[in-house]
Amino acid sequence: MKRAAIPWIAIALIIAGLPLVTSSNYLVGTMCFVAIYGTLAVGMGILLELAGIFSLAHPTFFGLGAYSGAVIAVKHVAPPWAGTIIGTVLVTAVSYLIGAPLLRLKGFYLACATFGLLVIVEISLGQFGSLTGGHEGLVGIPPLSIAGYVFESDVQFYYLSWAFCLGQLWFLSNVMNGRVGRAIRSFHDSETASRSMGVNISRYKLQIFMLTSAIAAIAGSIYCFYLRFTQPGIFGFPLLVDLMTMLIIGGGKTIWGPLLGSFVITWLRELIHGYLGNILPRMTGEVDAVFFGFLIIIILIFMPGGLTGWIFKLESWLRERFFKSAHASGQPTGGI
Amino acid sequence: MTNPPILEVNLLTRHFGGIRALNDVSLTLEQGSITSMIGPNGAGKTTFVNVVTGVHPPNNGSAKFAGHDTTGMAPHQIAALGIGRTFQLEELFVGMSALENAMVGCHTKSRCGIFATGFRLPFARDEERKIRDEAVDNLSLVGLAGKASYPVTKLPLGERKLVGIARALGMKPRLLLLDEPAGGLAAHEVERLTTLIYALVERDITIFIIEHNMPFVMSLSERVIVLNEGYKIADGAPADIRGNEQVIKAYLGEEDSH
Repeated sequence: MKRAAIPWIAIALIIAGLPLVTSSNYLVGTMCFVAIYGTLAVGMGILLELAGIFSLAHPTFFGLGAYSGAVIAVKHVAPPWAGTIIGTVLVTAVSYLIGAPLLRLKGFYLACATFGLLVIVEISLGQFGSLTGGHEGLVGIPPLSIAGYVFESDVQFYYLSWAFCLGQLWFLSNVMNGRVGRAIRSFHDSETASRSMGVNISRYKLQIFMLTSAIAAIAGSIYCFYLRFTQPGIFGFPLLVDLMTMLIIGGGKTIWGPLLGSFVITWLRELIHGYLGNILPRMTGEVDAVFFGFLIIIILIFMPGGLTGWIFKLESWLRERFFKSAHASGQPTGGI
Repeated sequence: MTNPPILEVNLLTRHFGGIRALNDVSLTLEQGSITSMIGPNGAGKTTFVNVVTGVHPPNNGSAKFAGHDTTGMAPHQIAALGIGRTFQLEELFVGMSALENAMVGCHTKSRCGIFATGFRLPFARDEERKIRDEAVDNLSLVGLAGKASYPVTKLPLGERKLVGIARALGMKPRLLLLDEPAGGLAAHEVERLTTLIYALVERDITIFIIEHNMPFVMSLSERVIVLNEGYKIADGAPADIRGNEQVIKAYLGEEDSH
């Protein structure tokens, strides 16, 4: 138990210390996006890779969370922090209404239905101009403040987004390694056997779907109060592709793999834009699409488990090489 | 009949399109007994187990388990009542270790929800420890205590079948349905399985076995039921079944037919 906590504490310390050793707003700000996209990718990884729920609507719940929090704040219905809470409750309710019928679908049928949802919501957000600001986006979002403490700077949002990201990672990792998570992973492997062990599959599918949607909605609120701006296009197909890339490159069979994917993708994109911005100023978008396309192909061929799969292979190789035992792992019960 | 019945099925029928997989099958299992079901391939044996466990609801007929009418109940509800099963093709959870497989088996005997485990509340941690102890006990009972941490995909067939049994034991079943537990096993593994099944009966678990391995069936069972083309054609002590003409016909065909 104590040993398992060491990596968590180490990562938390590194994250907490970063703003102390750098004064670069660019670095801290980019790390904010790593946390927010990482939060989303982790939830999507659980749905797709561990629960076997092929839902593509994750960016939609992120977007609905961002818009509901922002609209409530802009229209002065409630202060931003209350807007976040109300928005999250609303989005969770929506995810129930959507999940209850749609989660009966399987595999590609579910993917089609949820992809439809993604497109419909993106277009609708653009059309309800009086409420959402239309395709141009919603401006004038007031700053997030909690009990007089105002979140404005990059560093403040850095701590907020990483606290939330690591908090949900810890929570989901507990869930997925506990009774409910084992049940969820069991129906990914065999629905028939899972049912015969007494697992109420539709109930747990709905629960994990609503939970990850609620988390995505909170991430959406943090995102829009950080940018103080939202636009329907942010929550559409490009974000879905980004999240899928993070899953593939990070590896979705562990809880934290997608977060690693978010780190790698976000920084690679920054690097590409940084270098190519000077050489090919008008083509950076196209170039990074082509680059990530190739990267996905290479990862799928040479390391199908993503970076985390590769790390585990390396670990077990080192163990066999130096300790002559493949199963004397620090985590004797398996787990993820 | 000395013991009270634990499972009573009455005129159970199941069709798949035009195929009548199970036709008016009635039978009663005594508590604490070992009963086997045999029959040629396609006789409806696995369908029978699937209907009893709720995987396929019956088109007709009824089933009663330990006083509950289970006809038309969902599989997870039937499982919660205490009918455990294993699968012909194991159906283990391949992404998990042997221990985790056995822990999933304890699902119906634990309660904690998503928030209790997510926040690691004290009672959730207690329950998790109990689940783990129970799973370790069940793995020890089937003789796999030393392999708890192995991914199930790394285990040989015989041990995978045993993990399946350990997993089903987590449900604390009163009736355990074993679908071809000896299929593909070596002789010494079959012996180990026989000993295990007697140990399970000692624990007050009623055993129902589907099997093709005749020496295994005939030595172990108190009663043998024979299915052919969805119909029950014989039901009795092993010695009676051996000499039953209809059974011999079902397996070998009629003497004067060409």
